[in-house]
Amino acid sequence: MDNELTALGIIFTEFYYWVTVVFMFLIHVGFCMYEVGASRYKNHTHTLMKNTMLIPLVTITFFFFGWWIYFAFVNGPWIIGPLVDAPWATPWSELMGTHMGAGVHQDTLTVDDTAFWARINGVFWAAFLLFSWTAASIVSGAVIERIRPSAFWILAVVIGSFTWIIDASWGWSWNGWMVQKLGYHDAYASGVIHAIAGGFALGVLLVLGPRIGKFRKDGTPRNINPHNPWLVTIGLFLIYTGFWGFYVACNIPIIDVYGSAMLDVEGKSFFSATNIYLQPTTLSAITFNFLMSLSGGLMVAYLVSDGDAFWTYSGGLAGVIGASSGNDLYHPIQAMLIGGGGAFLAYKMHYWVENKFKIDDAVGAVAVHGYAGFYGIVMAGFMLWGYPSSPFEGYATISPWGNFIGAIIMFFVLGFVPAWIVSKILNGAGMLRIPREIEMVGLDINYESSRAADADEVAAAIREEAGAGS
Amino acid sequence: MATGPVDNWLNLDTFGAIYPFIGTEVLLAILGYAFWIIWHIIQIKRENAEFKSDIENINRQGGPGKVLEDEARREIEDQVGQ
Repeated sequence: MDNELTALGIIFTEFYYWVTVVFMFLIHVGFCMYEVGASRYKNHTHTLMKNTMLIPLVTITFFFFGWWIYFAFVNGPWIIGPLVDAPWATPWSELMGTHMGAGVHQDTLTVDDTAFWARINGVFWAAFLLFSWTAASIVSGAVIERIRPSAFWILAVVIGSFTWIIDASWGWSWNGWMVQKLGYHDAYASGVIHAIAGGFALGVLLVLGPRIGKFRKDGTPRNINPHNPWLVTIGLFLIYTGFWGFYVACNIPIIDVYGSAMLDVEGKSFFSATNIYLQPTTLSAITFNFLMSLSGGLMVAYLVSDGDAFWTYSGGLAGVIGASSGNDLYHPIQAMLIGGGGAFLAYKMHYWVENKFKIDDAVGAVAVHGYAGFYGIVMAGFMLWGYPSSPFEGYATISPWGNFIGAIIMFFVLGFVPAWIVSKILNGAGMLRIPREIEMVGLDINYESSRAADADEVAAAIREEAGAGS
Repeated sequence: MATGPVDNWLNLDTFGAIYPFIGTEVLLAILGYAFWIIWHIIQIKRENAEFKSDIENINRQGGPGKVLEDEARREIEDQVGQ
């Protein structure tokens, strides 16, 4: 930090990620509003607290082990190599605290690395952490009104600080084994956030079961409509807003693509934003494609749902998610059409799965995130077939089969399977689902009883006043 | 007495970590893990107690059906301002 250009580059990067974190906070505000709006009055307080408390729990566990996993697990470990040292990311590292960048306290860190991580560690950690909250929050909506908060918070830590960050290490880092060997490409996280969260939600739902009254005796579903459609609407708008920060956080704002650490092209410099794989892209490109895929999703969802507000908004999200894997490279009209496909698939699959398998996904999370995310990865495999997956030599190119295998890993291997196993264990211990009587009257029964006693007293007082003729 | 390595800001280019009690990071991590696990244990115990009390409350009011009927009555009263 002893010359202006170096300092400007590092402090700009620090500030850039910090801004994305603030934007992404709105995703969580949106999820809270959305869930409370979608739940029934008798469950509001518990629904809100269930989603709110995942924030501190995922945050501290992401500090304790999630951040280290991202760097340490790029080889599997033991799929293509051993655990990798990440001395800046262990919870006992001096670089996980206030640090001015001088001194080399770990044998494996250079002076430059120490200076870099001293400035970037916290904001980079937080950008990933906000993805962790999102992954857990996606699951939260699907299981409302019948899961025990304690069980959900354990599951939130499993996906938020463990399984999703393993998938990021494998398929969403410049040197992950899936990128190296499969040519996996998922620039804006169709799979590494959405497919895994959708698969995880499905694994929990399968064990948890539907809400009481969701299905008739003949197995046909009943609609349990959102308690407050306006709150759902504003929540989804806020999620859209936060999604901008999410997209921007997926980029590295400025590096020399021809720098010695990358392509090693002597005598050349090319400064650019890159995606997480260190491939050049621009904020303009992803702005085009974010908006066009959102639009494609909204338009198709409006038509396919006959103008249903809940599904039109959700279809906008499914549109972005369906195109996100390749939104660094698509043409905007391709993004629009692929986004439209994501919305169509999410809507149709939600009702097909609900009818066929009696799965009660209260907010369509499995469809909007899981199926649209899976589709997004597969589409990128076809659309970007033959593109290099990395600027580094020796990596597999992007292909339909590489991305298809990647989609299976995201949705099933790291999403569905761990969720199903942990849910089975919790269920076996009687810790997964709330007692039946409480589910019938609502989780907020104690709060409501006390409110009801007050309401009865006020009503009695009003009657007394009215009877006195005053 | 000084809890940290900073006694002036003159040689910033030599500064590494500047939080107090450098050298206690492993102990802090152990405390952090303990705080997290203990929180879950306390929360699960409280949730079990809450659900037990909820069920007693429901039974005291005549069962889930009666609670829902009373709630519906109060909703109507709320709406007409009584």
